[in-house]
Amino acid sequence: MVRECKGRVATMAGVAAAGALLGAAAGAATLQEGGSPLRNGTIAYVLTDRYWSVYETEKGATECPKGFNDGPREQFQQLYSDGKKRSIVEAQLKREGKQWHPTDDPEAFPFLEAQGSVSYGLNLDGKVDANDFESPEGEPGIDNQLFRAIGCIAGFRKGGSHYHFDNLFMRSYNDTRIVLELTGVDDLVNDADVTVRTWRGSDNLLTDASGEAFIPGGTQRVDLRWGQDYVNELKGRIVDGYLITDPIDHITFPWGFTFDTTGVQVFRGMQFKLKLSPTNADGLLAGFVDVHGFIHRLNTHLSTHHQSYGQISSPSLYRAMSRLADGYPDPKSGRNTAISSSVEVKFVQVFLQKPAKRRQLTMRK
Amino acid sequence: MQRLAGMGRVLIGATLFAAAAAIAVPVAETDFWQPKDSKDQEAYVNEPMPPGVKVVPTELDGPLFATAEGKTLYTWPLRGLRNGNAGDRHKSGVATCDDKIYRETSGLMSPYPGGFLLPDADTRKSCEQRWPPFLAPKDAQEVGKWTVVKRTNGQSQWAYDGYPVYTSDLDRKPGDVLGGSRRGTGGESGAQRVPVGPPPDVPPELAVVDSRTGRMLTDHKGYSVYFSDADEPGKSNCYGDCLETWNPVLAPLTAKPQGEWTILERSPGIRQWVYRGRPLYTYIPEERGRILGSDVPGWHNVYTQRSLLPPAEFTVQDSRIGQVLADSRGHTLYVYNCNDDAIDQQSCNHPSEPQEYRLAICGNFDPKVCRETFPYVPASAGARADSELWTVVTIDQDTGRFAEPGQPNAVQVWAYRDRPVYTYHGDLKPGDANGDSFGEFNGARNGFKAFWIRDDFRNNVFGR
Repeated sequence: MVRECKGRVATMAGVAAAGALLGAAAGAATLQEGGSPLRNGTIAYVLTDRYWSVYETEKGATECPKGFNDGPREQFQQLYSDGKKRSIVEAQLKREGKQWHPTDDPEAFPFLEAQGSVSYGLNLDGKVDANDFESPEGEPGIDNQLFRAIGCIAGFRKGGSHYHFDNLFMRSYNDTRIVLELTGVDDLVNDADVTVRTWRGSDNLLTDASGEAFIPGGTQRVDLRWGQDYVNELKGRIVDGYLITDPIDHITFPWGFTFDTTGVQVFRGMQFKLKLSPTNADGLLAGFVDVHGFIHRLNTHLSTHHQSYGQISSPSLYRAMSRLADGYPDPKSGRNTAISSSVEVKFVQVFLQKPAKRRQLTMRK
Repeated sequence: MQRLAGMGRVLIGATLFAAAAAIAVPVAETDFWQPKDSKDQEAYVNEPMPPGVKVVPTELDGPLFATAEGKTLYTWPLRGLRNGNAGDRHKSGVATCDDKIYRETSGLMSPYPGGFLLPDADTRKSCEQRWPPFLAPKDAQEVGKWTVVKRTNGQSQWAYDGYPVYTSDLDRKPGDVLGGSRRGTGGESGAQRVPVGPPPDVPPELAVVDSRTGRMLTDHKGYSVYFSDADEPGKSNCYGDCLETWNPVLAPLTAKPQGEWTILERSPGIRQWVYRGRPLYTYIPEERGRILGSDVPGWHNVYTQRSLLPPAEFTVQDSRIGQVLADSRGHTLYVYNCNDDAIDQQSCNHPSEPQEYRLAICGNFDPKVCRETFPYVPASAGARADSELWTVVTIDQDTGRFAEPGQPNAVQVWAYRDRPVYTYHGDLKPGDANGDSFGEFNGARNGFKAFWIRDDFRNNVFGR
């Protein structure tokens, strides 16, 4: 049975009082160890890597024993290679129409869901159910039905088109800069009560001379002007070096990639579990994603051309995600609208530079 | 699995973060546009031209070449597409836009193969019917950058700067620039036609870039240029600490004043360009292609000319990467882009052109779904904007084509450059731009893009 979350305690983008909040941070518990980036109980990290979690075995032997899914190009060929003369309306535009207005109507193509019982992710509901996975470390109750949907789509696997472009462009464009700021930190190994704020940064990632590796110690200017939708506050704790946040009911992250796109990804019931060090924070961002929202972001960022690189058929994926959805039921139909998911994330330590006060006026007269 | 009932210690700083109140700023209170009575108009370099060619001022694209009748001239530069190229090759002496009628797709637009019938296969015009060549007399003499190419039918056609020149069947009256824009839509928008004009009269140290709202000055490296309210005509007051943030745009010792350009000597041998009496600077902390310096009080970007005000009922909204033009309710406006996949790359974003592309994207061919997903922006009859780029058109909301007032299903809507604009049903609050990039190739090829007028992160304002 799926229960509805009472009272959306969600995000707020408000920023009018952010200045006060920023000032309050300075009064937090004092801790500074030599050159440690943990200063005044505060440390910050910026996102450098994000991959929708897919637990891969060699050649997909365990999770994809029947192989991998077809993409738009293969599906198009199956549908329209019979030699019959057709119009673009009957073929290309028909496929695009389905892409932008997906339905659950049956289609001729088989869809290969990921098999097996092991997945990355978190136990989002605190329960162990029949559909849950076990983590690679043996933790039961892992909720990641999105893995079932994307696990046998090449584009989401290591080196695939989504896997690649999602990160390539995230690193290239500063509007996707996700920053975490931990305050009230007495100890990076164990601390029962820490506060985590999310911001959007404004700056390039700091790399080593190769340009490939991200190094700690950079600076990110907090964007309080256009990044209001990305300001959130979570509570959490640090246990044996792992930051574990309480679920936040609704959180929006900037998630644009490819050229001149501006999209976001909304998570419901989102939690972080990150292994902390003075230089890095690596782990999982897990929560529910709205099925429509995920497909919308996918389509508005990866064209059919780019989806074809990785055999990502978004109409087929939509059907699978709808079928596997396991959270946030529609109040009228009772049908689940969201699917549990997990993203492998890597952050590197940065120092934050915050505006003294938010610009109140954005328009010049 | 089950989703949590009580989400534990979710904490949101409702008390810490007051909800940001959306501020709908009327367009008239912003400085994105120039007033109707402004005389600002871009000066250009007088080049030798063939008889029958003239230069006409246009609101968005600046001075452009036109025929004696006032028809704007365009070129069709070769452009690399996913599976090949389309357009005229530079200095090839060949005009590829001819009388052939293409009835099938070319397959240039990945991932779809060619060979499928186009929506207008039975009624489609040839490339040269859509883009009539600007013909030259048989005895035409090359002059300046103007040369002559031979068409396959033996006719002579003028070419400018190595590209054959055409007019557009969409342009109806002198000054219309409906066949294309210098700004373009960027990305994967297809091989589009570009209006051509004489070079702007700017020193070599400066350049003009096209933006959504006008022709902006940058230095020759692409960094935005600014002027200061604190300066006086022809005199800089930016010294000392000011120079920590602002770099004077320097003029070489050999530079001479010309037209709207003068030079001030900051100190012996250090000369600064002055435009229309205003000393020019770049903003030192700024990356190329940004306009962040305009946020510093008293500092402004410099435009040779800007568009006039859009409809007064429109607003400007803060959004996630900058600012968008919005309707009176604050709903972000969207433009629809479309170029087909035939060899001659005809546009399909105008109400006189095939609507099947748009209907597929906005409603899976259902006009009702289309109207719900991307509603038109209603306009009252007789409404006018200062800007001639904005007009009220009558549209058959089922077919998407022009209609007569009073015709069943006809609605009067706002149009930008003769194409209706839209809002998006998924935008829930002012400033949302959730319909951005909706359609093929991120909305650039057959889809919708938000009407960005400021973009601090990407390139949505400046186009190609």
